[in-house]
Amino acid sequence: MNLKTDVKDILGLLARLAVAGVFVYAGILKLLAPAEEFAYAIETYKVTGPGLSLWAAYIIPWLELYSGLLLAAGIFTRFNALFCGAMLVFFEALLAQAWLRGLPVTSCGCFGSGSSNSLEYEFFQNLVFLALAAAAFRYSRRFSADAAMDAAETRL
Amino acid sequence: MIRKKNARLAALAGLVMFLSTLGVLLARQFNMGPTRPAPGFRTFGPADAPVQILEYSDFACAACRKAATATDEMLKIYSGVIRLQFKHSPWVNIHPWSLDAAAYADCAGEQGKFKEYAALLFESQEKWEKAKEKPKEFEAFARDLNLDWPKLEACSAAPETRKRIKLDMAEAEMKGVNSTPTFFINGKRAVGLDQFLEQARKFDNLLRAGRSRPVGECPEK
Repeated sequence: MNLKTDVKDILGLLARLAVAGVFVYAGILKLLAPAEEFAYAIETYKVTGPGLSLWAAYIIPWLELYSGLLLAAGIFTRFNALFCGAMLVFFEALLAQAWLRGLPVTSCGCFGSGSSNSLEYEFFQNLVFLALAAAAFRYSRRFSADAAMDAAETRL
Repeated sequence: MIRKKNARLAALAGLVMFLSTLGVLLARQFNMGPTRPAPGFRTFGPADAPVQILEYSDFACAACRKAATATDEMLKIYSGVIRLQFKHSPWVNIHPWSLDAAAYADCAGEQGKFKEYAALLFESQEKWEKAKEKPKEFEAFARDLNLDWPKLEACSAAPETRKRIKLDMAEAEMKGVNSTPTFFINGKRAVGLDQFLEQARKFDNLLRAGRSRPVGECPEK
């Protein structure tokens, strides 16, 4: 087992914490507001009806919170990095179709129902997070619960 | 070996998820979430007022009518040191026309007469609250106040208007508002007019700092 920490490990950790922080923050903001707020934001993307939007608004914030926390702690790190990346790809698809269709989305719903930036801005911002999620997937096993568990087993 | 490791990680993941769920539920219980600002026509007093009041109210509730009189009086007495945001919390299961009343009041607000329309709704709530068909009073009040009735009617049925009210209702539910009127005075809950006045007395010292009259006294001539 290579115990030497290099720059990639540090950058991987920072990328992991950045993505995790964004997910935890986004999840908490939505969870502390009525689900209907987020549901109305989802409806403006004109992909789902009110019923499905409300269900999505109940579920997505919890997924964001859990995956963010697990990623930060480094529990099943690669799986959670992949999961966060998949969610980001899904959000990108929603933003892109709204952008291309010229939908009047006033609040993207990314961080609760507060005012948000333009769809283009959010789209490119998500690309950055996607790159960070990829880095977290590739390089962030060091400084994680996974690594600690491995080390403990090696000692045994 | 791998299965054992994964089982331990899964247990750890379960613990993290359990604790975070508990944290979110407690934060909700203690009203730590953000509060959506009420629209300008339902907000009274300066933004930087030392006493910030949220009022969850239902136009068809008798206690809310009394509370409206009391808050109006307080706003007059302590103008400049109180900011009140009026939020809709219509009990649609027992007051069938509450939601419509809230929608009409909001639309009157968009035409600049929320307070006047709300006052008329409260004053004659016995006439319309239990009506079997859509109350004629909604139109009559609009005409009395010289509001544009066709515009008001279209606005009251608009999805945006309904959504705004339903968001207030969802926010009330999240804050555990189980009866109306419920107030949050600088974040502290007061249920009913008596608790509100009791809290107002406690705030009197703070208000005295801004003005020199306690609650209940008339303004100086």
